[in-house]
Amino acid sequence: MLPVIELNHISKYFGKFAAVKDLSLTVEKGEFFGFIGPNGAGKSTTMNMILSFIKQDGGTVKLFGQEMPAGNVAVKKRIGYVPSDVRFYPQLRVQDLIRYTMDFHQVKENKKEVDELCELFQVDRKKKFGDLSLGNKKKVAIVCAMIHQPELLILDEPTNGLDPLMHARLFRLMKEKQEQGVTIFLSSHNLKEVEDYCSKIAFIKNGQLIGVEDLTKMNKKVKVVTLKGRNLPVEQMEAIGAKSITQNEDEIRFLYEKDLVQLFTTLKELSNELDDITVSNRDLEEQFMSMYENKGGEW
Amino acid sequence: MTLFRLECKTHTKSLLIWMIVVTLLTFGMMAIFPSMKESMGEFKNAMPQELMEAFNISDMAALSTVGGYFGYIFQYIMIATGIFAAMLGTNSLAREEAEGTIEYLYAQPISRTSIIVSKMLSSLLLYTLYWIISVCVSLLICLIFKESSASASDLVTNFSLFALAGWVMGLTFLSVGFLLSSMLSSNKSATSLSLGLVFLTYILGIVGKLQHDFRFLTYFSPIEAALPSKVFQDGIEGKYMLTDWLIILIACCLTFWIYRRKDLKV
Repeated sequence: MLPVIELNHISKYFGKFAAVKDLSLTVEKGEFFGFIGPNGAGKSTTMNMILSFIKQDGGTVKLFGQEMPAGNVAVKKRIGYVPSDVRFYPQLRVQDLIRYTMDFHQVKENKKEVDELCELFQVDRKKKFGDLSLGNKKKVAIVCAMIHQPELLILDEPTNGLDPLMHARLFRLMKEKQEQGVTIFLSSHNLKEVEDYCSKIAFIKNGQLIGVEDLTKMNKKVKVVTLKGRNLPVEQMEAIGAKSITQNEDEIRFLYEKDLVQLFTTLKELSNELDDITVSNRDLEEQFMSMYENKGGEW
Repeated sequence: MTLFRLECKTHTKSLLIWMIVVTLLTFGMMAIFPSMKESMGEFKNAMPQELMEAFNISDMAALSTVGGYFGYIFQYIMIATGIFAAMLGTNSLAREEAEGTIEYLYAQPISRTSIIVSKMLSSLLLYTLYWIISVCVSLLICLIFKESSASASDLVTNFSLFALAGWVMGLTFLSVGFLLSSMLSSNKSATSLSLGLVFLTYILGIVGKLQHDFRFLTYFSPIEAALPSKVFQDGIEGKYMLTDWLIILIACCLTFWIYRRKDLKV
């Protein structure tokens, strides 16, 4: 089956500054793909290249097997897009925006579905778009991105401005869509939401892809052990197979994936010499941090 | 077609405002004609010939006829029309990027070519409506205030030629406006660029008219070729029309070429 998004060695330069450098990634049909990285990492530039707002300086972008921007119109019929900063026509009423969106996509209004979506996100269709708050604008963008039954949803920081209730509803809806075969490509800062919902994630920093992780296969048995104290027992921990990931004067963090009995026995013996001991599951943030640290970067 | 409808809806209000202002201005200026026509002949050599030419008055006596008087006052409406057309063009594409609405628009299944075509067609329709209505209202006002000796059928003939010349003038500014818009990523400078474009070309026309060595400059002045005082006297001059159409063609082609290649600011 053809991948839904295929980025092949794409780069984008603004003058001498490389916003995206030789980035390649593939998103398969039905994936819930998280695209994460710090501010200015190149997430939005990559999304802008995917949607042909800007042209890449090298490499190719293919959506549904069609090269962009040649396949632009055919491909965009199958895409729903929620921008990070939603700035739609302020003079139009929400119901007009919905109608224009359907007209652009040449689809007939499915009143029941539009009603359901507007009700789910509590969208007031009579109001002018320009009079809405940031969160309500985002909700209108979400409704407009979904009303034409897209096969690919591209969402740039979709939860910015949403209250926790709407946040949860959005992710539940996206999960439902994914189960129906829709591919979701989502950029976010929020590692927790990405970890909870995404099936795959890509990390980007300084315009370069630094790793792609399949969360369905990620080893969740890995523990992170944090020890605090004046005399840090590095040798004893390494002797039981713990790998040190970060260390400063009075704190050290280890990754441990072996026998837990041995770990707790050792920690019990060491407890008198230490101020504090924490054992936790390695979450996405931890993995993210360790990936960055391995690359010599800072979050 | 959807974008065409959206554009028409967006600009209807400003179109109506422009039409009302132009109608009121024309009416106001023409309303004083009956009281002025008697005294105009007396001012015969009141101004040097060059100055009169610069103001597009062939002689003071012409101001005592409805055609001559209208020709004089309507040149200012022509400048306003040029500004209206140029602003319509300069704002068209750049505003989408400046206001960020391009992020909605270009996420829809629409090509950049379709965006330009829809915007050009809607601007063409709006400008044409504005112009037809302005000319018709002006003709009506002239017929109301005309002196008894003036022939109504001559006025209608003159106005139909002038309507065509003025329409082409506006299209020239509209197309150059589109070209500028395709290069801009913000419409902040749209008003100043439009004003600059219209006044600069208007002044080029005056310089070309007064200085015979710079006669060629009149080719770069769409207003000069379409002034009612000129069209009423000499009819439409083909060479000026040709220059206008050439500019329109080049500006349109370049607009497509540039906009299809540019990085949209989002």
